[in-house]
Amino acid sequence: MYNLILKDFKLGVPLIYLIMPFLTGALMFIPGWIYFIVLLYFCWITMPNMFGGFRAQNDLMFTAMMPVTKNDIVKAKVSVIVLLELLHIVIAMIFGMISINLYTNITYYFFEPHMGFWGLCFVMFGIFNICFISIYYKTAYKYGEATLVSIVAAMLFAGIAQWIGIESSYVHDIFYGAGLDRTALQASILIAGILVFIALTVIGYRIASKRFPKVEI
Amino acid sequence: MLALDIRNVSKKYKNFELKDISFQLEKGYIMGFIGANGAGKTTTIKSILNLIHIDSGEVRILGKNLAEHELELKQEIGFAFGDVDFHNRSKVKTLTDVIKKFYKNWNDDTYYSYLRKFKLDENKKISELSTGMKVKYNLALALSHGAKLLILDEPTSGLDPVARDNLLEIFQELVGEGEISILFSTHITSDLEKCADFITFIENGQIVKSAEKEAFVETYRLLSGKESQLSEVKELLISYKKNSFGFTGLIHADDFDPASGINAAIPSLEEIMIYFAKKEDMYV
Repeated sequence: MYNLILKDFKLGVPLIYLIMPFLTGALMFIPGWIYFIVLLYFCWITMPNMFGGFRAQNDLMFTAMMPVTKNDIVKAKVSVIVLLELLHIVIAMIFGMISINLYTNITYYFFEPHMGFWGLCFVMFGIFNICFISIYYKTAYKYGEATLVSIVAAMLFAGIAQWIGIESSYVHDIFYGAGLDRTALQASILIAGILVFIALTVIGYRIASKRFPKVEI
Repeated sequence: MLALDIRNVSKKYKNFELKDISFQLEKGYIMGFIGANGAGKTTTIKSILNLIHIDSGEVRILGKNLAEHELELKQEIGFAFGDVDFHNRSKVKTLTDVIKKFYKNWNDDTYYSYLRKFKLDENKKISELSTGMKVKYNLALALSHGAKLLILDEPTSGLDPVARDNLLEIFQELVGEGEISILFSTHITSDLEKCADFITFIENGQIVKSAEKEAFVETYRLLSGKESQLSEVKELLISYKKNSFGFTGLIHADDFDPASGINAAIPSLEEIMIYFAKKEDMYV
């Protein structure tokens, strides 16, 4: 499995996709922006391009002829997606922390980049993953439907979460303006978000690993 | 010992069907797998590599069932697809570095000796290699991980005669020591006349015949006679063509009566393929 991940990073993931987290992460410096968009760029750009590359290079057949199990093929691809997502989210978090300290006097209309917000981002990626991974492995090469459905699902979640954050004063109080008193609450939202991300990704992987063995290569 | 033993493999698609495919390849020999485009060669090869799910039947490689020992057997199989490129924007060196990690018997010395022998530059990109070089690169990879069975799908298609001849010599060299076996699909039958020991002929998803090369062609006779003689053998012919001099047709040697006075010759593989394809057309 480790060899398959290495294979993808050496052959299927061009350097630009490892630089992208820094480029999109830098958007965290736009004061008071909709920061969900920073991570959505991964879904809009990196994912379809990367999977288009896999298809163009006949990666599926290449991999299927190696002495590896079909389960490992799915597990490795899911790991590559998760590793790239973590890279995007961690770099955005670091840039977000700098951004918050840089602009001390602005009013955030959209979510402030505190821990609670990053928890929501993990949930967004989890929703993206369960949709993308499960749909993609119906064929293991058609990525259009998987990309479309997963992006719409992730954007709907982000849009609804943001709308509630603005409309509901209760939710607004939780996510906006992190004081020391709210660090515990924010951290627990982050942890809950991470757990949801793990759960949704694992479910996506399970569905995919049931579907992939039936695929004709 | 059998390097490859395919037993009653069937696979049904919407518009095509592999019907009860069976053939065997002895260890240390080259088998030519011939058939027209669309006859089922690649589908059969995909079933040997477990890339498609067969509806019934069994594939055994080096005495072991493929479905049960897939990973272990894939360590022993080398492959080359003449018309499919993988990661062709990568350099040979990069691709090899990735591939070698999957094989427990990988031998760097063997790999570099084949690179030298085949004059392969590992700093070139796959897309910069000629078709023949790509096949040689795949052979170098297969031999470096100690593959015992080479499955080659149309490896000589698109090659010039010099490159083809060169590749055929390499194939013969490889099986020389009796350890390596080659299944080699092609529609260029002259290649097989040069190097194959056995021939398996597939037509419309069914194996017509699988036999030792000389025995294979001797099973048939190519008849040429006057139009008036056609009626005597018409029913027995596999198929025939009429021309201004009379007719030519293919017949099973057993069905041919030498006393009939019709000229008969041993057909070439190409002629056998053509007349079988014509038979299909006659029934359409």
